[in-house]
Amino acid sequence: MKFLSYRNSINSNRKWALFAAYGCLIFFVIFFLFPPYYMLITSLKTNKEIAELSTNPWLIKQGLTLEHYKYLFTETPFLIFFKNTIIVTISVVIISMVISVLAAYSLSRLRFWGSGVLATGIFLTYLVPDTLLFIPLFKIVGWLGLLNSYWVLVLVYPTLSVPFCTWLMIGYFSSIPKEIDEAALIDGANHMQMLLKVFIPVAMPGLIAATIFAFTVSWAGFLYPLAFIYSETEMVLTVGTVTTLIKGDVFHWGGLMAGALLAAAPPVIVYAFLMDYYIAGLTSGATKG
Amino acid sequence: MKKVNINRRKFVKGISAVSGYAIAAPYVKTSHSAGKLLLGIWSHWIPGADDNLRIILEKWGEKNGVEVKVDFITSIGNKLLLTAQAESRAQTGHDIFSLPTWYSTMFKHRLDPIDDVVEDIINKHGPLLDSARFYAHLDGHWRGSPAPTGSFFDSFVSRYDLFKEHAGIDLKEIFPAHNNRSEELINNWTYDTFLTAAEKLYNAGKPFGATIGATPDSRWLSALFTAYGAELVNKDGEISVDSDEIREVLEYLKRLTQFMPKSVYAWDDSSNNRWIISGEGSVISNPASAWAVAKRDNPEVSKKLWHHDAPRGPKGRFRPDNSQFWGIWSFAQNKSAAKDLLRYVAEKSVVDSCVEASKGYDIPLIVSHFKNNKTWVEASPPDGVLYNYPMRGDEVPVAPGYPAPPEIASQITTQYIIANLVARITAKDQSIKKGIRWAENELEGIMRG
Amino acid sequence: MKINNLFVWLKQKPRIAFFMCLPLILMVACLIIYPFFYSIFLATLNKAETKFVGLANFLFLFKRETFWLVVQQSIFFALVAVFFKALIGFIAAHSINELPSKGQRKWRGMLLIPWVIPPALSTLGWWWLFEPTYSALNWLLEKLSVDAIPWLSETFWARFSIILVNIWVGAPFFLIMYLAALKSIPEDLYEAASIDGANYWQKLFFITLPMMKNIISITILFSIIVTFANFDIVRVLTRGGPIDTTHLFATYAFRVGIESGDIPLGAAVSLFMFPVLAVLSFIILRNVRKRTNEV
Repeated sequence: MKFLSYRNSINSNRKWALFAAYGCLIFFVIFFLFPPYYMLITSLKTNKEIAELSTNPWLIKQGLTLEHYKYLFTETPFLIFFKNTIIVTISVVIISMVISVLAAYSLSRLRFWGSGVLATGIFLTYLVPDTLLFIPLFKIVGWLGLLNSYWVLVLVYPTLSVPFCTWLMIGYFSSIPKEIDEAALIDGANHMQMLLKVFIPVAMPGLIAATIFAFTVSWAGFLYPLAFIYSETEMVLTVGTVTTLIKGDVFHWGGLMAGALLAAAPPVIVYAFLMDYYIAGLTSGATKG
Repeated sequence: MKKVNINRRKFVKGISAVSGYAIAAPYVKTSHSAGKLLLGIWSHWIPGADDNLRIILEKWGEKNGVEVKVDFITSIGNKLLLTAQAESRAQTGHDIFSLPTWYSTMFKHRLDPIDDVVEDIINKHGPLLDSARFYAHLDGHWRGSPAPTGSFFDSFVSRYDLFKEHAGIDLKEIFPAHNNRSEELINNWTYDTFLTAAEKLYNAGKPFGATIGATPDSRWLSALFTAYGAELVNKDGEISVDSDEIREVLEYLKRLTQFMPKSVYAWDDSSNNRWIISGEGSVISNPASAWAVAKRDNPEVSKKLWHHDAPRGPKGRFRPDNSQFWGIWSFAQNKSAAKDLLRYVAEKSVVDSCVEASKGYDIPLIVSHFKNNKTWVEASPPDGVLYNYPMRGDEVPVAPGYPAPPEIASQITTQYIIANLVARITAKDQSIKKGIRWAENELEGIMRG
Repeated sequence: MKINNLFVWLKQKPRIAFFMCLPLILMVACLIIYPFFYSIFLATLNKAETKFVGLANFLFLFKRETFWLVVQQSIFFALVAVFFKALIGFIAAHSINELPSKGQRKWRGMLLIPWVIPPALSTLGWWWLFEPTYSALNWLLEKLSVDAIPWLSETFWARFSIILVNIWVGAPFFLIMYLAALKSIPEDLYEAASIDGANYWQKLFFITLPMMKNIISITILFSIIVTFANFDIVRVLTRGGPIDTTHLFATYAFRVGIESGDIPLGAAVSLFMFPVLAVLSFIILRNVRKRTNEV
């Protein structure tokens, strides 16, 4: 009898929790998705309907059109922006991963003078925001001859991604039992071999989490390309979409929304495939860090 | 070096009676010395205008053995300004750079003086608008030369049908598409008349709309201030905001804003365009772009638009000035070719072509160039819609912040002191006294040097 | 022989450790620390950058009404936005975790979308929703017979709008971080609690929250820093208006430094972010360390 009531209370508790969960989620989904929905709708309307005041703005009344997407691909250098963004993002991800994995291995397993300070100090670099740094960076960038080249982004974006990635990887590496590397060392492996053969395979989820973070940071970057790049041939998606589709006091709304949605597509795909790893990666890094 | 210039100037003077292209010839020789010229130019808002300018510049390059490379840089998101900052700090980049409004002042330490160029232009084509001197002639030297594109002056853009129907004012009669204006009608077009009309239009549900926010389009307010003789800082650089004129213009705005939509405090440069195109509004202060977009998105509205002069205030009739110049960076690699190009783009044929490509949006700074131009005469529908878009009557273009010295006026503009002051008094219901005290405090900050 | 010596020297543990950190150290030194000190130097110059003026720029700012307004607004903006991001992220993560595992991916995917669209572009979408003449939100309100809301033109609503958009952009990040942390809490803790008769709320407060304390602190810290330094959203939506009442440090520094051309003063404004954030980080990080050591 007592057992039964216990079961019942679990069930009703569960049911109640599930009900509340769905309620909350539906609410959040509406809040999170109505702006993208509206952007999608706008991108499929004709210019005339976008300028129309009398019809329901949340629906397409005067016929669906792909003219804005067509305009984007044929009349603007959108594909060049896309290509540049991909080059920049892939380079930034690789550089960020190399720098942060090396540093994280060293900081979590080896010790040297000042390593403790460095481990804490890395996170503190976020205290110096990009809105402060870009002016002094003009000088460095000019000196390197990288003004108006997308390689400048490959140079500066890691400052935004590496600290967080390093911190994630430190957490992950720390969770790997010490016995594993001791065994490997006894077998005569050097640190590089150990990192490549033992740590990276074991820490794969963490690595993917860090990769996704670096990917998002460099894909969405806005201020640095705005400040450092002006040629259309060197421009990246975020800034390029805005600068080619806003002409002074004239906004090409349909094209802007189409551009925003297309710019969001690659991250969506990456996330869809890697999400489970990402969560698993954060789990370890986050709790141990 | 100087001597050579003087000689050249005399030489130009001597033959200025001869036709245009013969004059360009003497400079050509010097252009051969260096091979490349890089230009960072303000990207035009009117589709096609950039391509037109690019062709003009590249043709000039071909003819003179100079490899011309043009980057069109948008001013959206302050991109042009950021690029100017980047280049002037990195000491590398383009040779010629676009200088809209206050850039000449902001970057005067990093720009070469080009007195010889501008004087040649004035000698050949006649005077520039007074406001051009105010913007680009700094501490006795020209830092900018008239740009072939990107200078514009906001006119009033009105729905003549609504004015006639609700306010009983026939704008097409006051500002006809020819030069024989009626003195009497023009004299009656004052800010008081406008206030009455604004009230009637507001009551008819089609108000006047213009931004009172921190955005460049708020310059309509500075033209209004000047029309009332209201100076924040006088020409000697003394703070003069605590004056009867300021109080008078603020009182006027208190009344006027009652008949404007409340959202104007958040309007940006595109809001007024949408406002008039949507058919909600009856009058805005804008260049020709609103009409051009209306033609595409809402032709019914575009057919009822009319560009015309601002009302007159106690001190005259003024319209906001948005001049643009081209300057030469002090670190430019090819200064002699750059100077030749600056002279070339002041030619009437170049300017006419640019005005046409901009569909009448651009207004040349060289007075003689805009007097005889067909683009504004022929634009339609309705016929004559742009005739009065350039200054045809007694209207004077005025830079925001005028008559304060450029250093201070530029800060008044870029920190949007006037719009901020007006918003405080009309939206926040601050007393005029308190608003003036706030402005004094801000201006002291600006003048700290 | 010599090369061999070098190898031996390199192989010593502290050295190889140092060399592995070298790329990181170089990057931080050249691209963060050097520019940071250069900004401090810039902030001590006069407007034309021709004269050393010491602390004059900072002292000048202290006397500005607008500057103090910016300080208050930045702190208010960061605290309110981060609080709601954390709350929404937590509730959403918890809700997803309650679902049968089959359905989780779908919901997770949908809720991540705001974080995936580059914020500079999604903010433009929001702006289009707020636009006074065409506001689709006001259209809805009108259908519900509610007065149109002046989203961006009145101080209260303008502040509300920028915070709302910031929450929208940032909440999914909290969601993922929390979801990851929730997954790492051992199931048997809950089972044991259930057998002891703990109810939903007890489990939440005595198991879930304590287990997630670290991740919550770190995520909040990270978010406060990023929110505090936010630039895009305010710049696109209000540009600091109406009457400077939505300016944050970054946008005000941009107005003063870039738009008005007073770079030293702009640098001085930006530099004020540093002490505020440093104090905050110190407190949060110290707590995290303490707790980690206790565990």
